[in-house]
Amino acid sequence: MAPPRSYRTEALTLRRSPLGEADLLITLYSKDSGKIRAVAKGARRPVSKLVGHLEPLIRVQLSLSVGRNLDIITQAQVLNSFNPLKEDLAGITKGLYIAELIDGFGSEAQSNPAMYHLALDILTAIAGNPASELPLRFFELRLLLASGLMPELYDCVQCRKPVAPEGHRFSPNFGGTLCLECNPPEARIRPISLRALKVLRLFHRAPSSKALTLNLTPTLAQELKTLLASTISYWLEKEIRSNSLMEQIQRDSKYAV
Amino acid sequence: MSTEPIPAASPSLTRLIQELNRLPGVGPKSAQRLAYYLIRLSDGEAYALADAITAVKQSVVFCQECQNLTDASPCAICSDSQRSRDMICVVEDPLDVLALERTRCYRGLYHVLHGAISPLNGIGPDQLKIKELLDRLKEGQITELVMATNPTLEGEATAMYIRRNLDRGGLTVTHLARGLPVGGSLEYSDEMTLSRAFQGRQEL
Repeated sequence: MAPPRSYRTEALTLRRSPLGEADLLITLYSKDSGKIRAVAKGARRPVSKLVGHLEPLIRVQLSLSVGRNLDIITQAQVLNSFNPLKEDLAGITKGLYIAELIDGFGSEAQSNPAMYHLALDILTAIAGNPASELPLRFFELRLLLASGLMPELYDCVQCRKPVAPEGHRFSPNFGGTLCLECNPPEARIRPISLRALKVLRLFHRAPSSKALTLNLTPTLAQELKTLLASTISYWLEKEIRSNSLMEQIQRDSKYAV
Repeated sequence: MSTEPIPAASPSLTRLIQELNRLPGVGPKSAQRLAYYLIRLSDGEAYALADAITAVKQSVVFCQECQNLTDASPCAICSDSQRSRDMICVVEDPLDVLALERTRCYRGLYHVLHGAISPLNGIGPDQLKIKELLDRLKEGQITELVMATNPTLEGEATAMYIRRNLDRGGLTVTHLARGLPVGGSLEYSDEMTLSRAFQGRQEL
């Protein structure tokens, strides 16, 4: 039987860019088939039915038809536009950060419902409290987990012995925790506090409802931020553009982000 | 279809086709058609086009006041003494100025940002003409700032960023109404548009 010419899926819009004279190229992350790039024909025309449904960071129900190169969006219905997130500049920049990481880690034609639902959960969490950075840290660790890149948090990645409390360091590029004796030459090694390690372990095991109630000291929050950032950028192999915007807004703004 | 040199075509014709192909919305077939059309034009008409392109690149500058593209700085709008000098309408592109001028309902000044904040495309506040706007506002003449960035996520984020970084009080900041386009229908509108239209409802 020939593959179907049209299909439906639920997806999260990530970004859009102009294509041709009046079309938009939409990048989405779908529940069933991973990352999709599809064309919304005529979406840049003044009276377009599609364009409002395909803004970034919207959960949509889509109908698509299979095209030669790119699939074509025939219908879009908004399921959740995460409005509370978009009324706040901090919410928008954090949401775009999530979109950028999903765009970077998500693969085309590879179903990963865990990644899809993680993105939705975290966008909801950000919408509830746009000032908090905690959902971003939780997202970063769970994204690594969903991508099969979870760092080791319990044993030394070199000698495989369980790491002792206060007897551990972390290597973003070598795969996680190292004991004090092992020093593989190619590993970039950095210290990690016991508290930070415990938070990461909690992020790994606990549901978001528990993990997102944590109260981190500024020092601990900063430690987790740099640690996870180095792991994420190692795997992504490119600069995360939303990061610099978030930081600039924090610096420039008269109000806390 | 590629724009590789066609053996039968002259090198200069091939080069023209390749250059035309780079223009947005112009594919290889259109580029060929345009190139052949230009060859059949009179010398005067063809050179007029070439001169116009050269003149634009040589003489167009940013207006020192509003950052719009202009031949002479300050531009015609900023130099026009008949315009209200206490309002600035902030837009993303020079084409937005043209669109608003066509309405003939706005008699204040403009400020062109040349884009909107879009981190995924590497555009942050420093890549836009935001600092120039904030400097302009320090002079104290302006009483109203109309944010007319596009009603997209990026346009809204840009408007919010500017709002947050305003230094002084005594400045009314407004934005254009959101809602249903004339000729549109409720049935096909997205929930964001509809809810905004609802919030902005007016007495009949």
